[in-house]
Amino acid sequence: VKENSSRRGQNNYKRVLIDFKMSKRGQVAIFVIVALVIVGVLVVVFGFSDSEGDLFQGDEANPEGFLKSCLEPELKKNSQTLALQGGYRNPEGFIIDNGDKIKYLCYTSEYYETCVVQQPLLKEHFEKELSAMIDAKADSCLKTLETEYEKRGYEITIGEGDSEVKTSQGKISVILDSPVTVEKESVQEFDTFEVGVESNMYELLLVSSSMIELEAVYGDAETSLYMRYYPDLNMEKTKLSDGTTIYKIENVITGEEFRFASRSLAWPAGFE
Amino acid sequence: MKTGSFQILTIGGIVSDKMKGKIFFGILILLSFIVVFSNGSLGQETPSVCCEKTTSGLFCQNVPASECAAGATQAASSCESTSFCQQGYCSNPFEGTCSSSTPRFVCENNGGVWSEEFPPQCQLGCCVLGEQAAFVTQTRCKALSASLGLSTNFNSKITSEVQCILSVAGQEKGACVYDEGFEKTCKFTTRANCANVITGEFFKDTLCTAEELGANCAPTTKTACVPGRDEVHFVDTCGNPANIYDSSKTNNNAYWSEKLSKAESCNPDGANADSRTCGNCNYLLGSICRQDGTTATCVDLNCGKVDGDERTHGESWCVYEGESGNGKSSAGSRHYKKTCSNGEVLIETCAEFRQESCVQSDTKLSDTQIFSEASCKANRWQDCTSQRSKDDCENGARRDCYWIGGTTNACLPKTPPGLEFWQKDQETNSICAQANTRCTVVYEKDIFGDEDCKENCHCRTADWLNLQKQICSSLGDCGPNVNWIKEQGAGGFKVIGSG
Repeated sequence: VKENSSRRGQNNYKRVLIDFKMSKRGQVAIFVIVALVIVGVLVVVFGFSDSEGDLFQGDEANPEGFLKSCLEPELKKNSQTLALQGGYRNPEGFIIDNGDKIKYLCYTSEYYETCVVQQPLLKEHFEKELSAMIDAKADSCLKTLETEYEKRGYEITIGEGDSEVKTSQGKISVILDSPVTVEKESVQEFDTFEVGVESNMYELLLVSSSMIELEAVYGDAETSLYMRYYPDLNMEKTKLSDGTTIYKIENVITGEEFRFASRSLAWPAGFE
Repeated sequence: MKTGSFQILTIGGIVSDKMKGKIFFGILILLSFIVVFSNGSLGQETPSVCCEKTTSGLFCQNVPASECAAGATQAASSCESTSFCQQGYCSNPFEGTCSSSTPRFVCENNGGVWSEEFPPQCQLGCCVLGEQAAFVTQTRCKALSASLGLSTNFNSKITSEVQCILSVAGQEKGACVYDEGFEKTCKFTTRANCANVITGEFFKDTLCTAEELGANCAPTTKTACVPGRDEVHFVDTCGNPANIYDSSKTNNNAYWSEKLSKAESCNPDGANADSRTCGNCNYLLGSICRQDGTTATCVDLNCGKVDGDERTHGESWCVYEGESGNGKSSAGSRHYKKTCSNGEVLIETCAEFRQESCVQSDTKLSDTQIFSEASCKANRWQDCTSQRSKDDCENGARRDCYWIGGTTNACLPKTPPGLEFWQKDQETNSICAQANTRCTVVYEKDIFGDEDCKENCHCRTADWLNLQKQICSSLGDCGPNVNWIKEQGAGGFKVIGSG
């Protein structure tokens, strides 16, 4: 009985081993399949899918939605790049802080003097710079729009036009001033497209302008008062040894930040 | 009779009264010499031309001619006296904002309107924007009103921001019932807005959900933050803000009928931060409404315990590296201001070389609560040692100094300025040298040869020596002092006895 049982035991052991090997192989196979499926999904989502969104949802065309998803990432990225450099793509007259070029929006090279405003109409300048940065992308989005319509058998004509960026309370808008005519069974005409992205950059720009004014008049801007008036803003002020002050203004809700430098009413060490 | 002399040499000198004048005069001569020297030998480094644009891309700077950008206009005078860099006011014709100290060409190149004198378009007034007000220019008021879809309501006769805010604070608010298509609907607004803009029927202090109005607005469980208000409010189906969120009142008809004040709402004396039941946030106590998707909550803005003290939102306080005040400062140290804002502690550095000092004032709110406010302000130490009277010395409107009276009279900086002492330059030496002193002690020998001190005996005491040390280190990074990492410095202070 013992022999039998031990043989049976051996057989059982082998079976278990085989089962184990099989189940292990099976598991590996399942893992491989799951991995392939995940990779496939990722490829479809990030590779082949139209990252600029679908132009057609059902039979209805949504060109504005399409342009929004096409432009939004570029708009956000460039807006943040500009904001971290004092509103300039390629700043001249800047200070380097942790590897970032920060534009002097108010500056004096002298000691004991208040600064000279270097950039009035900051909001308008920011809009111009951002507009120049996304101009190429706006053209490419319109081209893609054209292709997407044509794929569906539409006849489309896109007229010459400009793109313009506008910042306003709570948003940044791109106005694509290109007349578009779409024709299939009926004719649709669009004079302009307005693509709006949620942003508090307008508020950051106006607060910065106000701080530049204080720098120009008094040689300093007191951040505590601003933070009390604007509960959503955090402000950091760093004074460097050469008399430069770097301001970082952050909207704590959206995480958007605007930075600029100023050198005003600087004192030397000792009397000089 | 025998005289003994104790001389203290730092790298400079305030001394006994007689000597003080001589040394000060000497320093003046020395400083005058430096000035003459500077103008002569450093001529190439001092600003010499007004440059329209520098090589580094900055506008209207007084810099050496070599730093002027190629082709930029320049004049061998200060920018103030040139026409091309004349500064004035630059107004934004679109937004209505204004900036001063702006060179004409910089303003005009950016699309602004420049004027030498303060222009009328930069005059501030009160702009009423529905239930809120802003103290802005008329152009800005138009821009703001347009962006909010309101008609412009600008009052130039109101000349202060406080007056402006108060002018809208007392506005009556209530339900404005009007017809929209075949339905009776409602908007919670001011009486003026209801009469002039919506042209509806106004019910003071009544909510749009009040049954007696018969409007199509009904209560919901949704909450929202209202612009210009701190609290979390219920929202009705028409999107109107209702009373302050109170979980116990969700289905209370009375609570959805009449407008209640903050004091009549739940837990009015608390901050209600992170409360799930009460939305009566209080900004002054450190909580405010913040929206997260479709729900709003009172978020905590306070910072909790920081450096041993509870810190609330908006509070700021000074931080020093080592001892500070009454002539004490560690060598190489600077002052800092910390601020608690939105639950974060932000650090602001006061100017290097202690050219700014941090000042703090504490307000007692209750027996247990103090609210601190700090600021980095200019350290006006420069003329302390020239003051000869206690009153002049301690004139806080003019300078930041303290007075030492008694056997030695001296006026010294409260916060000693930082010096580039490692440069071993003449200026550091001249500032520190103001602490040099000589005290002549007179002894008399008796017939047995014993010496008896007759004059200036105090100069032999440890107190006098300590006072001289204090004077020395009060002048700047001079004499015996610890540095900002608390290491004791060596040298810079000698006591020489002779005779």
